Amino acid sequence: MSKKVSVWADGRFWQRSAAWVTGVAAMLLIWLTFDTMGQIQMGTKAELDQGITKRVPSPTVINHKITYEMNDKRGHETPVIGEKEKFFGRDDYSEEEAMALLNLGKLASQTKNCMNCHTLLGNGAYYAPDLTKAWLDPNWESYMLRMGKETKEEAIAEFLQHPSDNPSNERMMPNLGVTAEEAKGLVAFLKHMSSIDTNGFPRNFGKIEGGIHGR
Amino acid sequence: MFSEFTDIVPSFFGWLNQGPMTLTLFLHGAIVLPMFFIYKQEKKRLESEK
Repeated sequence: MSKKVSVWADGRFWQRSAAWVTGVAAMLLIWLTFDTMGQIQMGTKAELDQGITKRVPSPTVINHKITYEMNDKRGHETPVIGEKEKFFGRDDYSEEEAMALLNLGKLASQTKNCMNCHTLLGNGAYYAPDLTKAWLDPNWESYMLRMGKETKEEAIAEFLQHPSDNPSNERMMPNLGVTAEEAKGLVAFLKHMSSIDTNGFPRNFGKIEGGIHGR
Repeated sequence: MFSEFTDIVPSFFGWLNQGPMTLTLFLHGAIVLPMFFIYKQEKKRLESEK
């Protein structure tokens, strides 16, 4: 009864298939956009104080100690926000003060075009070290010793203002004329960025020599 | 086949992204399976034509 037909040679089959796949993919992308927007929303100080985990915590995270610990359940390292820790001698930055500092640092990073060499949250170049978790780099301790600084933030600020006096590797960072205030903002920006849950990016941070030093 | 939900934010896409198996099942369910129906419909239509 059935006659021989070729569906594969039929234009309507391909049109309908294409329309279906495009339609489903478009709906998924729209859904994904709204799903992501909720997840990348910055947290508040109240949430941070209550220990509610957010992918992007409140800027007041600069009042806390941040570590990067292996999470066996998730299979990669995650930022862990710990107890209070002094940042440039203070651990009581309000949400507004911390946000102002972070904004200053972000604007400074854009003005000085850090991404021209460095990577920030996956954006930018891989000529110089990835800065996404730079605050957590254990090498700052050797800088503290070399520079005679008491704290990590002071050592980073000093490095940012006088990079050519403190060579880190053979690809020396140029002197960009960063002011003391900008350096403070940049360190706050780096500290906050290191507290962002990036699903383990950069991979194996702290284990691969080249990943940190750009060598 | 299915691993425990490990993402920090419970969401549909977090569940979908747990491994290649969940993604494969979803994409085949949502895209490939309906295409079989389209194929069958078109075949029926072509057979009934003329």
